[in-house]
Amino acid sequence: MRIPILKLHDYLLVSIQVELDDQSAMEFQEDLLKKIHNSGATGVVIDLTSVEVIDSFIAKVLGDVVSMADLMGAKVVFTGVQPAVSMTLIELGIYLKEVPTALDLEQGLIKLRQELEEK
Amino acid sequence: MSMKAQLINNKQEILEQWLEEVENKELMHYSKTISEDLIGRTNNELIDTIFIALENETGANDELQQFAEKIVNLGWPIGYITEGMQVFRSVSIKTILEKNSDANKDYFLNVMDEVNQIVDPIKTYLINQYSTNWDNIVSLQKLALEELSAPLIPVMDDITVMPLVGTIDTDRAKLIMENLLSGIVKHRTDVVLIDITGVPVVDTMVAHHIIQAAEAVRLLGATCILVGIRPEIAQTIVNLGIDLSNFPTKSSLSKGFQTALQMTDKHIISSNKDGQNLEQIMEAIEKE
Repeated sequence: MRIPILKLHDYLLVSIQVELDDQSAMEFQEDLLKKIHNSGATGVVIDLTSVEVIDSFIAKVLGDVVSMADLMGAKVVFTGVQPAVSMTLIELGIYLKEVPTALDLEQGLIKLRQELEEK
Repeated sequence: MSMKAQLINNKQEILEQWLEEVENKELMHYSKTISEDLIGRTNNELIDTIFIALENETGANDELQQFAEKIVNLGWPIGYITEGMQVFRSVSIKTILEKNSDANKDYFLNVMDEVNQIVDPIKTYLINQYSTNWDNIVSLQKLALEELSAPLIPVMDDITVMPLVGTIDTDRAKLIMENLLSGIVKHRTDVVLIDITGVPVVDTMVAHHIIQAAEAVRLLGATCILVGIRPEIAQTIVNLGIDLSNFPTKSSLSKGFQTALQMTDKHIISSNKDGQNLEQIMEAIEKE
């Protein structure tokens, strides 16, 4: 199943509600970049509220998506990272330093607008 | 005649000898903290309880239990019990051997064995009561300590404070991180102030745990401010070459709180009208 990517004005909204495996993560990366290209979106919110497990590969793919989208001129914000997920990532030594984060979708949109205004 | 019956028959004699010996023994050095009268009464109670336990077939009876509870609650030293039982053992053996003057080696061994079998269960029971009580206390204290170990206090919307007091080890660091992260999600917090005023020593390990916690907090989408950095802690951190530049640090909680207010676009406005009036007057004067 492909992960749905919704368009909202200049933003794209993605809520990941399935457990990501390596293949679906790569597909998601491809889909999102295509969608950014087609829609000309300037901001992307990826909501991870229902994701309970992130391994090092998925984390790398997600981190890469941020850098790739940045190259295409779209800012990405992660929202709703679960405490357990955050702890695992830190223990694995994956800090995702370049990635902006927010508590929930609402905060994420506010953050996105702030970041875009700053540009 | 069974050994038990012999002991019971000679109850009076054993009792007197036991009391006498106990009083001469080390037990009396507890009298510094406990009145002699109380010691005397407890001695009587102990020997009575032993005999009641002897006369009763089942061993660990109600009286024994009651006595154990009482003595544990009063905090009598466990040495008192062990010594008392030891004296009882030797007095019992002596008394029985004296009654049977024709005793040979086999008989002697037999007496020893049987007296041990009678005395040991009582002693074991009493000591078990002690250790169960201690275990309870230890687990209660551990729980109390855990509750105190990582409290998260919501101060305003978007701002929470976690004051840390005492040394931080790996277990506690884990607990701190868990409480911190779940608290942030629960209270929808934007800024967390971690106050380390009460942490006596910050070494590389503690700093590592704090950095990890701060990074985890950032992944959730909140910000961490480290406050309460005392001069000596600042010295150690720099001397150890620890890099804390990734998140803001402040010397005191109040300064950190001001930074937090700025970050969440909040201001504290004084409700003191006098000051405003004065300003208005000054403005009016300037206009004229």
